[in-house]
Amino acid sequence: MNTRIKDYVQLILLSVLLFGISFWCWFKPATDFSTTERRELKQFPELSVKTLVSGKFMQTFEDYTLDQFPARDSFRTIKALTAKYVFGHLDNNDIFVTSDGMIGKHEYPLKQDQVVHAANKFKYVYNTYLKDNGGKVYLSVIPDKNAFIAEESGHLAMDYDLFFKLMQENTKDFATYIDISDLLSKDDYYLTDTHWKQECITDVADRLAEAMGTTLDKNYKLNTLEKTFAGVYYGQSALPVEKDTLNYLTSDIIDSCIIKNYETGKEMSMYDMEKANGYDLYETFLSGSVSFIVIENPQATTDKELVVFRDSFGSSLVPLLASGYKSITVIDIRYISSLKTEMPNSLQNLVDFKNKDVLFIYSTLVLNNSNTLK
Amino acid sequence: MLFSSIPFLYYFLPCVLITYFISPRCLKNTVLLLFSLVFYGWGEPKLVLLMVISILIGYISGLLIEKFRGTVYSKISMILGVVIAFSFLIYYKYANFFVENFGALTGISVPVLKIALPIGISFYTFQIVSYIIDVYRADTCAQKNIINLAAYIAMFPQLIAGPIVRYVDVERQLRTRVHTVDKLSLGIRRFVLGLAKKILVANALGELCDIFRETSGQSVVFAWIYGIAFSLHIYFDFSGYSDMAIGLGHMFGFNFLENFNYPYVSVSVTEFWRRWHMSLGSWFRDYLYIPLGGNRVKKRYRWFINIFIVWLATGFWHGAAWNFIIWGLMFGVLLVIEKLWLLKHFGKHKVLSRIYVLFVVMISFIIFNASSMSQAWNDIISLFGFGNLPFITTETLYYLRSYALIFIIAFIGATPFMKNSIAKIRETKSGMKIINTAEPLVLAVLLIIMTSFLVDGSFNPFLYFRF
Repeated sequence: MNTRIKDYVQLILLSVLLFGISFWCWFKPATDFSTTERRELKQFPELSVKTLVSGKFMQTFEDYTLDQFPARDSFRTIKALTAKYVFGHLDNNDIFVTSDGMIGKHEYPLKQDQVVHAANKFKYVYNTYLKDNGGKVYLSVIPDKNAFIAEESGHLAMDYDLFFKLMQENTKDFATYIDISDLLSKDDYYLTDTHWKQECITDVADRLAEAMGTTLDKNYKLNTLEKTFAGVYYGQSALPVEKDTLNYLTSDIIDSCIIKNYETGKEMSMYDMEKANGYDLYETFLSGSVSFIVIENPQATTDKELVVFRDSFGSSLVPLLASGYKSITVIDIRYISSLKTEMPNSLQNLVDFKNKDVLFIYSTLVLNNSNTLK
Repeated sequence: MLFSSIPFLYYFLPCVLITYFISPRCLKNTVLLLFSLVFYGWGEPKLVLLMVISILIGYISGLLIEKFRGTVYSKISMILGVVIAFSFLIYYKYANFFVENFGALTGISVPVLKIALPIGISFYTFQIVSYIIDVYRADTCAQKNIINLAAYIAMFPQLIAGPIVRYVDVERQLRTRVHTVDKLSLGIRRFVLGLAKKILVANALGELCDIFRETSGQSVVFAWIYGIAFSLHIYFDFSGYSDMAIGLGHMFGFNFLENFNYPYVSVSVTEFWRRWHMSLGSWFRDYLYIPLGGNRVKKRYRWFINIFIVWLATGFWHGAAWNFIIWGLMFGVLLVIEKLWLLKHFGKHKVLSRIYVLFVVMISFIIFNASSMSQAWNDIISLFGFGNLPFITTETLYYLRSYALIFIIAFIGATPFMKNSIAKIRETKSGMKIINTAEPLVLAVLLIIMTSFLVDGSFNPFLYFRF
């Protein structure tokens, strides 16, 4: 190819790309929601003299163009692949993929102030509601999957031993610590999601139950959702990786439980089959982020009652604990305030803690960012 | 609006190109001007007025200088034009600095003025001033057509981050310029390569600098990585922007002068400044250094004073803060030392000379990028192990591994190695064929990759916006 032809080819090729993508940008209908990123996408901003003069239109227009860019997910995949394979970056926006296809996200460094803040929050709950209620208080920390994959794959990992030690030292006055970290390994977590697999944590449930003085029915039946599970990291990584299968465990006792969602005031199921067709299949467990749930076990052979303060990891654990209790109250203080107020939806008006055991069980992801605890 | 943004690439640029090329020749400058005002107003709608007033001042001054040529009024017109143009710059860029330092010096509490710095004011003010002075010196005629003058000053390719284009260099092109396929093709290549320098290299190195600032895992080695990364970041950021500006200029038929010429291969600081931000260096040479007498003064100390004045002004031009002043004066000191003792030795020890240049330039950019002089001091002493930092940390090793390839690309890209290698390959017939076949494909792939980085990324402002 001589230089003159090259100039023509270059001009035509680049013009086709530039004007073609531009035309696509201008005329592509806007989409409302990104399933891979699980968020609503920006829509065309309000166009008026006021928004133009104030510059508000221009500020939001860029977000709109980024969110509504044609073939956005494919372009994000190109970026992720280029960053990994061309530029050799070990992570892309803090997301990394191990050689065995497991996706992780840096949770680093250990924020000691946040861990202490979480411990103080639990102490506040203990002093305010639990001190004289006659029940026992337990604490367990769930290591996130970085504890098993980050260091071995050459990524940044927190000092988990220090993490557990900090948590224990700051809660030992009021809670019995139950160590579950030795029962977990990387295979107990989804490839594409932050969470653990319910079918892999029956031993964790047993350890907790034993430490809290109850026994569990272990006649589980394994069920599998038809739809494959693209976890939260699947969309964030934008890389072509294998999706997960989501299993859930049922039993006669689990099936017979009566569960009430106090956010809606309605009964619900342990496994929400509507969510099983949604974009986040993990929300199948206890319908995802519900702040206040009570599970009654009509087949209970014990009068023991439990209150669980938990994050999303608890959604898949609590069903396994149901057989060991007459009732379990499940509370997520990321969405409901733990502060003592006279408001009708405050903790003191919602829950009767009398003679109930209490389990605080949180993942290191939440404890290391505990400002989310209210 | 940023060149490295989706709104510019896929909304603004196609619109301006189509409108420009379908417009008749007599309207092309008007089209450029209108789109340039939209481009400028996109970020600062209210400050378009300030730029329009500045343009009017330049325009009227030029006409008055020419009308009264040969009389004292010509000089008065020139002085008035320059003073008014600079007064805007001083008010918007330096008022707070003076107020703060007056307060600190006298102990009088003076409220800080809430003044937003208009983007690109340092660049377009310098263009207006150079126009006024050039007309006064009769190096060029006053522009009678305000559209042409406004199109020159407000032209979006170089409006907000240079290069500082002289009116005399584009005066003829404003009236008549040719648009050819090879010029368009050249412009596209230069623009895409500039965009790649900015998005793929400068932004990655900028991320690493941010990580250094935020991490709790700083170390002596990380301090060196930061110094080197920022030196490369600012080069790829700014020279990438200049490449884009020059490339866009070609697309619209203009030939802007080069602004960078591989400064990191210099063997002296004197040479470095002949290769770095050349349009600014030549502006200060022609409109400050030479009028002060330059090196043609009787007393040697007078020459050095001239050098210090120029470098004080250069530092202050970059920002209204003490670290910029110190940065400028540091170069003033280095240039005097080189002129007095060092320059004659540099030719003999090229490797050592280059190490010296890279080291002092890195130190200067650490000062340049610091938010305060105390931060600059901490960053510099950290390099030598006096910052109470460990020698190396896990984070240092992680980020070194993660950014190693970017560093290698940046090291090679900062030298003429690739340019020379391609030129060498082009010398043979088969080599020419290979390059000509590969070039359009490489540019197309680069554009797609850069688009993917923009879609995935967030807002990446250019460093030189704040100047």
